[in-house]
Amino acid sequence: MLVTIAALAFLFLPLAVVVLFSFHSSAGLTFPFEGFSLQWYEEVLGSEEFRSAARNSLVVATATSVVTLLLGTLTAYGLTRTSSRWRVPLTLLFFLPVTLPGIFVGLALLVYFSELTITLSLLTVLVAHCLFVFPFFLLIAHAALSRTDPALEEAAADLGAGRWAVFRRVTLPQVWPVLLGASALAFALSFDEFIITFFVVGPDSTLPLYIWSGLRRNTDPSINTVSTMLLIATTVPCLIAYVLTLRPRSRGSASDLKTELEASAA
Amino acid sequence: MSTGQAAAGPLAVLHRRLHAGPLLATAPATIGFALLFLVPIGAFAVYSFLTAGLFDASGPLTLANYEEVINSDVTPELATNSALVGLFTAVICLLIGFPVAYFLRFSAGRYQILILLLFVVAMFASYLVRIYAWRTVLGPQGVINEALLQLGITDSPVELFLYSRTAIVIALVHILLPYVVLVLFAGFRLMPASLLEAAQDLGAGTVQRWRRVILPAMLEPAASAFLFVFVLAAADYVTPQFLGGPGDAMLGVKIEQDVTATGNWPRGAATAFLMVLGFLLVAAIVSALLRLRHRGRRRGRYRVAT
Repeated sequence: MLVTIAALAFLFLPLAVVVLFSFHSSAGLTFPFEGFSLQWYEEVLGSEEFRSAARNSLVVATATSVVTLLLGTLTAYGLTRTSSRWRVPLTLLFFLPVTLPGIFVGLALLVYFSELTITLSLLTVLVAHCLFVFPFFLLIAHAALSRTDPALEEAAADLGAGRWAVFRRVTLPQVWPVLLGASALAFALSFDEFIITFFVVGPDSTLPLYIWSGLRRNTDPSINTVSTMLLIATTVPCLIAYVLTLRPRSRGSASDLKTELEASAA
Repeated sequence: MSTGQAAAGPLAVLHRRLHAGPLLATAPATIGFALLFLVPIGAFAVYSFLTAGLFDASGPLTLANYEEVINSDVTPELATNSALVGLFTAVICLLIGFPVAYFLRFSAGRYQILILLLFVVAMFASYLVRIYAWRTVLGPQGVINEALLQLGITDSPVELFLYSRTAIVIALVHILLPYVVLVLFAGFRLMPASLLEAAQDLGAGTVQRWRRVILPAMLEPAASAFLFVFVLAAADYVTPQFLGGPGDAMLGVKIEQDVTATGNWPRGAATAFLMVLGFLLVAAIVSALLRLRHRGRRRGRYRVAT
């Protein structure tokens, strides 16, 4: 237990320091703390550079989570319902982007886009994010879809329902909270992605890139503020995902993100 | 899934209706992955054999990039730094992750869900913010140095922590520990509590239980956690830039420089491929060790009835 508490302290205290200093009334990053102020928030929110980075991050993360939700659900459905010999090689393919280092994937995409003379833009960032986020979504969606009772789908098909009707009226009602939760996680992952984004971003900026340039400028107290906002932007989808996946299912089996993660990691 | 192969009559029709076409549902993602992932990696492989221009490359195919990287004076140091950082980070993550995951599985009780949630939240907490946070904490005017100064332990800020390999490893452990905890926890979930009770009843102490029961059964999750952390830590290019000293550069930093600063993309590509080759080698060694051990001791393994 002591190790667990120490590990949690180790994980959260440095982040707490950043959050605390984002409210500091002076520019110093040293204790003693001189007083609370929202001046850095005012400064950051007023900056056009920050606002466009935040807008870009929001647009890309939303698009990523929508594309992943649609393609990922289709893919997880296909992979869990087929007995084809392509099932295993396809699954391996879809998990490849997280097994390869981000710098490798980012550079491969950069070279590819440049050979095809595709201008780097938020669209190329979207492509990179979808690739990166897809395995995480698939992991959770696959676990959820493979634990539904096949008898229900068979019964519906037996009663004359077409494949689409079976999916929409029988399968989807059992798993949609988990799918939405997974897509919230996709949003969080995309919102924070830096390693691959750095290579394919072009002239636009995203929030992590904004922080990266702040890191290069050395001590700039407004980075604390942007960091705090970035932390909130990843924590909130995480909590949403947790709540959504904690909802009891129609069949009474209380399942949650934890079990999804475990089932898929096992 | 009840896929009765020899089902006849209406049941067969039913099965066809349910199982014949689902593979098609994977088509959009498969096409996307082929065009935007597999082809780029193939093109990237070819690219690593091209002759370098400035921020581009052209034919004919050559081995010069690989030769240059392998024969370069800096490569051994960069590769050693990457391997050491990967190794230290992975080992420390496992050393912390094991007791935490064990506690979560067997003794956390009603706090289990809350603690797991905290680790999930920590897993998703921003990558760059953590690097920034550690620079703030470890810096010359950071929290640790201020505390040391005020307690009178030192007279001037200690540069011991920041800009060192220690700082890089601390930040990477911070970033990757939640993954390790969750993977090991998933491994422990498959271990029946009765197994440990049996070991205890038979008189095994804590050390014996860990050495003879827990660790042998947890080798596979531990190996996958190790590889995952090793690759992500060793390939990192941001942490060494902001937390490492001049001698702590890693392979990723060199690749990034070739892409952004020197504009030698084919050399960056060759370095990236050699790095991935190194990771494959490490993965092969780890899985060979696992197999060797499996063959060596069949006894003492349990079956999970799920």
